[in-house]
Amino acid sequence: MKNKLKVLRADRDWTQADLADRLHVTRQTINAIEKGKYDPSLPLAFKVAALFGLPIEEIFFPEAD
Amino acid sequence: MINTREETSLQAGLRKSNFQLLLATAIWVGSTAIMSFGPSAFWSFDTTLTFLAIAANLIAGGFMLYSFFRHLKNMDELQRQTHLEAMALTLGITMVLTVIYGALPQAKVLASAQPANVLFVIGISYILSVITLWLRRTSA
Repeated sequence: MKNKLKVLRADRDWTQADLADRLHVTRQTINAIEKGKYDPSLPLAFKVAALFGLPIEEIFFPEAD
Repeated sequence: MINTREETSLQAGLRKSNFQLLLATAIWVGSTAIMSFGPSAFWSFDTTLTFLAIAANLIAGGFMLYSFFRHLKNMDELQRQTHLEAMALTLGITMVLTVIYGALPQAKVLASAQPANVLFVIGISYILSVITLWLRRTSA
């Protein structure tokens, strides 16, 4: 699964640690999601969507899209 | 930006449960030592005291398990998944190696198989699995 997490984070001038803190996860988790090495759980994906005020499908999308 | 130098609630929860797990493990190791060496060293094989030592060891084991589950719940989802996958790997590795190890005395390669050696396989497999899986996901 691909995502726009890095772009959205950079738009707000947040570091990985800032975003991790807001989502109550580790910085390594944010790094792994951004690099596509880990797909977040549905609850975490919803938290990300709520934090950025966007629908989930605008942040996370399948590799083929 | 958030001040990341301050300890987050996630880190604080992990630190607390980590300490509880350390304490529970130390108590379990201590109670295991008492259960193993107590009968010969302290109470001259008194059956009642031996059963009390076994009961104490069981309780300490239960506390250790509870502490481990609590620690697992306090982890963030990537850490938890890493540990769960490491446990799955450890189960598989231990099963395969234990079957081979158990067959060695029958094949007269070893005089006897010690069940306690399986604990080393479990421990080493788990540590290596956690490190490998974590590095695979978090390395640049």
